[in-house]
Amino acid sequence: MSSEEPSANIAELHHKQPAFRGLEAGHLACPGCGQALGARLVTEAIGPDVIIANATGCLEVFTSAWPRSSWRVPWIHSLFENAPAVASGIEAALKMQGRPTKVVAMGGDGGTFDIGLQSLSGMLERNHNVLYVCFDNEGYMNTGGHRSGSTPHAAVTMTSPSGKKRMGKRHLKKDLLAIIGAHQIPYAATATVAYPSDLRAKVRRGIEIEGAAFLLVHSPCPLGWGHEGALSIEIARLAVQTGFFPIVEMERGAVVNAMQIRNVRPVAEYLRPQHRFQHLFSDSPEAREELEHLQQLADYNIERYRLTSGQSESRDTEATDTVMRGGMRWS
Amino acid sequence: MPILTRGSFANAATSLALKTGDWRLQRPQYRHRSAPCAVGCPAGENPQAYIAMVAEGNLRGAWEMLVAANPLPAITGRVCHHPCESACHRGSYDQPIAIHSVERFLGDRAIAEGWNYPLKPSSPDAPRVAVVGAGPAGLSAAYHLARLGLSVTLFDAEPEPGGLLRSALPPYRLPRTVLNSEIARLLAVGIAFKPNRRVGRDVSIDELRADFQAIFLGPGTSRPREWSVDGTVPSDLRTGLDLLREWISIGAIPTYNRVAIIGGGNTAIDLARVLKFSGVDEVHLITFQALPGPAVRREEAMSAAPREIGQALEEGVTIHDRRGVRRLIMRGNRVVGVETVHMKELGTATGERKLVSFEGTETILKVDHVIPAIGQQLDSSVFGNLLGQPGIFVGGDARSAAGTVSGAIGDGCRAAIAIRNYLDGLPPAGDEMPRPIAFDDLNINYFDHAPRAEALILEVEHRSAEKEIEAGISHQDLNAEAHRCFSCGECMSCDNCWTLCPDNAVLKADTRDGWRYAFDYDHCKGCGICANECPVGFITMFDEQ
Amino acid sequence: MLRPIEGSAAVAHAVALCRPQVIAGYPITPQTHIVEKLARLIADDQLRCELISVESEFSAISAVLGAAAAGSRAYTASSAQGILLMTEVLHNIAGLRIPLVMTCANRAIGAPVSAWNDQQDSMVMRDAGWIQLYCANNQEAVDTTIQAFRIAERTELPVMVCMDGYVLTHTLEVVDIPTQQQVDAFLPAYHFARSLDPRKPITIGTLVTPEFYTEARYMNHRALLRAQEEILAADRDWEKISGRTSGGLISVDGSDDAAVGILSIGSVMGTLSDARDHFAEFGPVKLIGLRSMRPFPIDDLKVACDGLSELIVLERALSPGGGGIIGSEVRAALSEAHSPPRIHNFAAGLGGRDMPLEIFPKLLEATRARDATRFAIIDVDTAKIAAEDR
Repeated sequence: MSSEEPSANIAELHHKQPAFRGLEAGHLACPGCGQALGARLVTEAIGPDVIIANATGCLEVFTSAWPRSSWRVPWIHSLFENAPAVASGIEAALKMQGRPTKVVAMGGDGGTFDIGLQSLSGMLERNHNVLYVCFDNEGYMNTGGHRSGSTPHAAVTMTSPSGKKRMGKRHLKKDLLAIIGAHQIPYAATATVAYPSDLRAKVRRGIEIEGAAFLLVHSPCPLGWGHEGALSIEIARLAVQTGFFPIVEMERGAVVNAMQIRNVRPVAEYLRPQHRFQHLFSDSPEAREELEHLQQLADYNIERYRLTSGQSESRDTEATDTVMRGGMRWS
Repeated sequence: MPILTRGSFANAATSLALKTGDWRLQRPQYRHRSAPCAVGCPAGENPQAYIAMVAEGNLRGAWEMLVAANPLPAITGRVCHHPCESACHRGSYDQPIAIHSVERFLGDRAIAEGWNYPLKPSSPDAPRVAVVGAGPAGLSAAYHLARLGLSVTLFDAEPEPGGLLRSALPPYRLPRTVLNSEIARLLAVGIAFKPNRRVGRDVSIDELRADFQAIFLGPGTSRPREWSVDGTVPSDLRTGLDLLREWISIGAIPTYNRVAIIGGGNTAIDLARVLKFSGVDEVHLITFQALPGPAVRREEAMSAAPREIGQALEEGVTIHDRRGVRRLIMRGNRVVGVETVHMKELGTATGERKLVSFEGTETILKVDHVIPAIGQQLDSSVFGNLLGQPGIFVGGDARSAAGTVSGAIGDGCRAAIAIRNYLDGLPPAGDEMPRPIAFDDLNINYFDHAPRAEALILEVEHRSAEKEIEAGISHQDLNAEAHRCFSCGECMSCDNCWTLCPDNAVLKADTRDGWRYAFDYDHCKGCGICANECPVGFITMFDEQ
Repeated sequence: MLRPIEGSAAVAHAVALCRPQVIAGYPITPQTHIVEKLARLIADDQLRCELISVESEFSAISAVLGAAAAGSRAYTASSAQGILLMTEVLHNIAGLRIPLVMTCANRAIGAPVSAWNDQQDSMVMRDAGWIQLYCANNQEAVDTTIQAFRIAERTELPVMVCMDGYVLTHTLEVVDIPTQQQVDAFLPAYHFARSLDPRKPITIGTLVTPEFYTEARYMNHRALLRAQEEILAADRDWEKISGRTSGGLISVDGSDDAAVGILSIGSVMGTLSDARDHFAEFGPVKLIGLRSMRPFPIDDLKVACDGLSELIVLERALSPGGGGIIGSEVRAALSEAHSPPRIHNFAAGLGGRDMPLEIFPKLLEATRARDATRFAIIDVDTAKIAAEDR
């Protein structure tokens, strides 16, 4: 193989790609954006016959600055807190029109955990045939990095700084999955951009299921979390490998599957590359205590979701983090 | 200027017109990097590359790629000490790829299927080159010269070609059918073989110089190194290689009761096993090198192949490693024992390494024979004065002390290229090896643990000196092994970069030119995820100008 | 077919005749009966429609936004706090230029809590970018509802049909419910050119920078102004089918030689008409019914007020600290007239306070005063308030 670059016509190649991608290049996301990747993977798993309702947030802003759009699928953004309701209306309309088109609602954690939670709850309770995907970057990143109900305990944001009296966010990350589970919808799951085939399989599952489905996708934010863009996948992977972000599946509110961790890593490995947790690595007793607190939270996840029991079907090594020659594994 | 749409809607995929590549500070590039197995192969093979073809199911292609470097894979697959496997990064993860098994499988398959080298016959007016010595270096040189289109005549002092492969390798390691098949195919590429011609006896160098435009000398090393302990030499001393050759050619070996073999190389191990198979009670092997193990540095370990050492131990050979012979205990001029002492290589103040023996660790070993197997040297009586003369090239054991079959094959190949360059009036090619990719440049999160394919080995009670001990691996195991390969530094088309780019800036490309992906630099923001997540280290980030 | 029917039920029937595919509703008095009746029609299979019983008005209006954008005729209704909760979405729909129809069953806004009628709720929304049509009676409510769908779909603007809570919604009147054939002849099947469709994907709800935002707002403003023609055309065309007009943009009732006019909005027009008959001794009074609050029909208003020397503007909402809402706009509009009348602005009937016939002479009294009444709440009883709060 020569080290010369190929003389491929890039513009031509764009039209020859083997998989449909609902989110195109030219969007304005930061380099290494986990959400941009997550959204594209979701669209890839669904295909072109879909309508997306998108809540206000980074994803909305960086994909739809008029006159340009990065979307290849019909897409509507109304407001911050109403994407699930808009999606409900779209679904009802399609049902009446007898069209098989799928409906997906998307939002960030601000739009999902916080301001849009009521509307989401209504959509789930009515069991609309909609897949809701929350890209969880654990803060209001579009506004400049502010604390949300999803921000992890002790993480620093612009509204939860660390200082003499505070060690970042005082409260815990909201257990949204438990709230979703309480709606007893047919399918709910967590996923992460670090395990694309797992993510896509769950998207397909959520889409195929008749009724409401919910997917929480852990999506690193290089700017808001304070890490290099190149590390987005690595950090997302460490979140799983430490137990900090458990990857599970729920049916009718019951956990039915949890991605097993092969080698549990200490939570510090996940925290250290991120600026939002830097204050936990100082020598103060408070820092040590909070660091231990986060370790305990991760351990609790492992215990609660039985992430090392080896009893579940899927492992983090199975089709999710092993590569095969010849590609097409992810697609 | 765009015209505002009603409700400010936008048309699909119009952001493609926006060149976000302007933001980039670093540029990813697909760049081949050398696999440690390839860097570590003395024969110049690229196991990573032919294993990739095996994984694709193209066995013939894999073999042709393999024999582009090494024409005798069925032989090296059996007898090479495979430094490729010691270098294999998979060894830092679970166990190295069983490269020798893959090589042997391909070699055996070629013999079974009657595959021929993909060579064109040389033209009648091609330059003529004489190759002296039909051992591994000479065979390799002859083959590569033929590949390069030259007309080759191969001389050997013995009636049959093979050199040390035939004279010093016991059949339980290298069955003669394999040896004969490989050499026959090699000679069939149009090499004129002249047996029973010892240069200096049957044909003179001057005659060769008159008839040929270049000469390759691959005579091997035939003269045993001097050996004594403080000047003491037993009267019936015979060297290990000498005994081994005798056994191989006539099938008999002197009867001993207790023997100490001095040395840690393959000859020492081979002889020890042959003696054991012939019924010698006690076979001791004394070497200052260490038994190979995870904690032992490669340069400190015994130079014999680890699997041979293991088998020898199973067969009852006693190995006294990290020991040297301090004194021979004599009765008259016959040996009745040796005094050994613990030895270790230590660093000196100047940074060199020095063998140190430790007082107070002396042990007496009662033996009736001592056999040094510490290697041979070039018999310079014939060739010594020729070295460095124009048109004369030397390779194999005669040139370096490596003493390995694969090293000799690599030497033959390098010599062929040098000869080609010499005849074309080109400067000699440099033979610098690139640095292999570092283990940390791989992303092993993408690989799963998988057991190494182990060849079937005869049970100890069924072993004999005549029957091959180690079998090949199955086709199924071969495929599994090929898929275990990390593909260090070479794209394996796993799609990671294509999948994980947040900017769709990695595109699947036409595979015909060998490139599976292309970067869309109009949109790549240079985040570096592709490089970080490339399992095989095929993507490197470079600063933008 | 003429029949006595409660206002809410009449509107529900009108909506059903327009064949909506998606209805979203959230209970709030006095709008509730409309959605209840629609639910009944759906349950009885008299209407094929998806009814989404949402968890808030915010989601109700959001759901119909989604449905309309996805290519289905959609409808919702609300009142008071519900309308206010919808605020953000109402503005959003107008900006997105999505054709929708909703009924506002007008009701006062808390605090203090009031479940009774005035028009503060819809008046607050006058700047949301919606067409606002007010109904004087239940027949107008039926006809305006039907017209609203055509107006919305032709202008690609949302239409809010405002009818007074209780006074209209809960009152039994004899109403002519049109036939399905009549409505089908008037209202073509829903078609939205910018609908969400995978075969022709577009992106709705984009970010617009200062470079184009002004133009986007200008477009909305112009679209609303231009909608006057569609409002008039709809009323005209429906009159051809039904024989009834609902008053176009503005309705005038009374002799041309009247020097005094009263302008108001909604069901109070009926009270004023009865009062004029009852107090005939006050001479000719021109009653001007403002049907279209948005777009605000300045030109038609000037024509209607031509020849008046005194104009009383009576409204059932106010802008605290400012005064009358309609009054201020009328005053501004007529300031361009050659010889504008003196304008007296009153609010009355807030939070369900009765509007007796006797209000008529009290209003006319103002015309005899030396100075025009800039703004007053005509039926306030300050004796009920502590002196320092008066």
